[in-house]
Amino acid sequence: MAGARGHFALLVALLVAIAVVPVSGCATDAGPGDDGATDNGEAATGEPYRIGAVLSLSGTLAGLGEPERNTILMEVERINEAGGVNGRPIEVLIEDDASDAETAVAVTSRLIERENVVALIGATGTGGTMAMRQEVDRAGLVQVSVAGGTVITADFHPYVFQTPWSNSIVVPFTLAYLQDQGISRIALIADSGGFAKDGVDVMKDHLGDFDVEIVAEESFNPGDADMTSQLTKIRATDAEAVVLWNAGAEAATVAKNMAALNFDIPLFGSHGNARVEFIEGAGDAAEGFRFAAGKVLVPEAYGEGTPEYEVATDFIERYTERFGKAPDTFAGHAYDALYLIVEAMQRLPEEFTSADLRDEIEATSGFVGIGGTFTFSPTDHNGMTEDNLVMYDIRDGEWILAE
Amino acid sequence: MGGVELLQFALAGLKNGAIYALVALGFTLVYAATGAINFAQGEFYMLGGMLSVWAYAGLGLPLPVAGLVGVALTAVVGGVFEFLAVRPRKDGDLLAIIIITVGGSMVLSSAARHLFGPLEKALPAFSGTGTVSIFGAVLEIQSLWILGLTTLAVLALWYLYNRTSLGRAMRACAVNRDAARLVGIDPRKIVTVSFVLAAALGALAGLAVTPLTQTAFDVGPSVGIKGFAAAILGGLGNPIAAVAGGIVLGMLESLSIAFISSTYKDAIALVVLLGVLFWRPQGIFGASRREKV
Repeated sequence: MAGARGHFALLVALLVAIAVVPVSGCATDAGPGDDGATDNGEAATGEPYRIGAVLSLSGTLAGLGEPERNTILMEVERINEAGGVNGRPIEVLIEDDASDAETAVAVTSRLIERENVVALIGATGTGGTMAMRQEVDRAGLVQVSVAGGTVITADFHPYVFQTPWSNSIVVPFTLAYLQDQGISRIALIADSGGFAKDGVDVMKDHLGDFDVEIVAEESFNPGDADMTSQLTKIRATDAEAVVLWNAGAEAATVAKNMAALNFDIPLFGSHGNARVEFIEGAGDAAEGFRFAAGKVLVPEAYGEGTPEYEVATDFIERYTERFGKAPDTFAGHAYDALYLIVEAMQRLPEEFTSADLRDEIEATSGFVGIGGTFTFSPTDHNGMTEDNLVMYDIRDGEWILAE
Repeated sequence: MGGVELLQFALAGLKNGAIYALVALGFTLVYAATGAINFAQGEFYMLGGMLSVWAYAGLGLPLPVAGLVGVALTAVVGGVFEFLAVRPRKDGDLLAIIIITVGGSMVLSSAARHLFGPLEKALPAFSGTGTVSIFGAVLEIQSLWILGLTTLAVLALWYLYNRTSLGRAMRACAVNRDAARLVGIDPRKIVTVSFVLAAALGALAGLAVTPLTQTAFDVGPSVGIKGFAAAILGGLGNPIAAVAGGIVLGMLESLSIAFISSTYKDAIALVVLLGVLFWRPQGIFGASRREKV
């Protein structure tokens, strides 16, 4: 084999190059505009209001982007059949950011320059959402993100809103629950992604408010096949519970590894694990797994007969009928983002500026959505509180409300 | 740290190492035949899992049959990929082939995304979710399957290389393509066979691991990098070295977690990899390929 050393230099270069491929490579997956929704309703006529949506339909966040797109397609039809906004239909142009921040910027720029959108939904991920900000800032457009990172609204921008419960709400809620359960020593295991890092940082900030301490802290990488080593280290500590913070498929592996190692302490997760794929993947090991999330998974949590319950069950019914499975929390975040924008537009006169729309969304008070009831203020663009959360427990492969 | 814990870390390392080893074997086979690195190897791992899930859950086949279908279909994909994408590059230019395989990996994962959707998929364990206890440390039965299949794959490859005329032809090609052609071996056929076998081995790994981790269209690249690192660490072109490289890499990661920090496990493994390569560029177990002038 000629020049083995020369080849080696080439191989190392490629080892570095390939690390970039999974991210940028997916951009070829679906070209911009492939998924542009052009559902013009019959009830509403005239020039449509155009809203841009930047969602991850390919790449690592595709599992979140798909229910978000489904929801937007379904609800846009419903809104237009009901007369649209001020008699004019709305049109949501959905662009795929391939779970990549750079692509999110590029498609956002296209939506702003070429499509003249009046507002933006997205991105699916926190990284994409933050990367879009330069474009949002430049164009002075309203952005309603469906990503969960605390930074999105903590790093405040007057034109940026966020529908998911951020870690800054879920973490204290979870810590309070642990304290109520008499658990004071926890072992933390989190992946190296942005959502988990954010969760861990928020947790460390809030520890002082609770009688809970972290006795072990382990991490893993997205894509790791086995966390037995990390859990073996945790098992050697005097932790009374394991708290997992991540949003990927590895959660099921953690649960299964714990079961294999015969752990006798419970496992707690986060709203990032509120996916039926976790239960399918972990099987029996999912039993007793507890995590905090919004009430959409078990609508009875809203309280039967309440407006929240009516809105959620109606949505769940229509979504399940159309797509053959119940909506998850991510579908709910997209629902909330769309209606927060549309209802503000409906309250405005036919012609409005971005500043008018921003002010009107900020004035939203008591909007009943899927994630909860939203009330924004000039300093709070998330609008959620711990009241919108409940603790779930997995029993016999189903979500039930934890005691 | 007690002895039981140490054993548990070693078992975890062995299990991860066996996974890396199966993927590394695929890299080694294609490298031996072409001198190039096949960056689509991780996608064969992904396809093995995804196609098996499709055959099991989608077609309703029994698990063993579904697994065979998944591995066989992936092997076919490997052969077709070689025939359509690699073979047309007749001059065998290494850089071109490497770039072709990078492109191929994107095509395969995008195709899987469109055919099977973006969500992760589960497969039941081959023989129950139980564990076995070894001096107080535990190992899932599925991990025994992984270790067993890795051993079987190595034995089968050893047999192929040393006891069959096809294997001898493959080795001849690896040593010198032109000389092999002079004695009547068609190197193009050998390259195709290598891709088919590499795809089957990658698929076998994906199939065996899916019950533990689930699978999705995007699991290929991260596993591919680990397998690639294992192949280089052991020494490219030699199946035994690839397996040894995989086990060493798995152990390194596990012991990094045990004694240093889980945050830096990959970084530590990479530093050791680079260190080893400065010391022995041909890999720990690779034969020296010094040029004779």
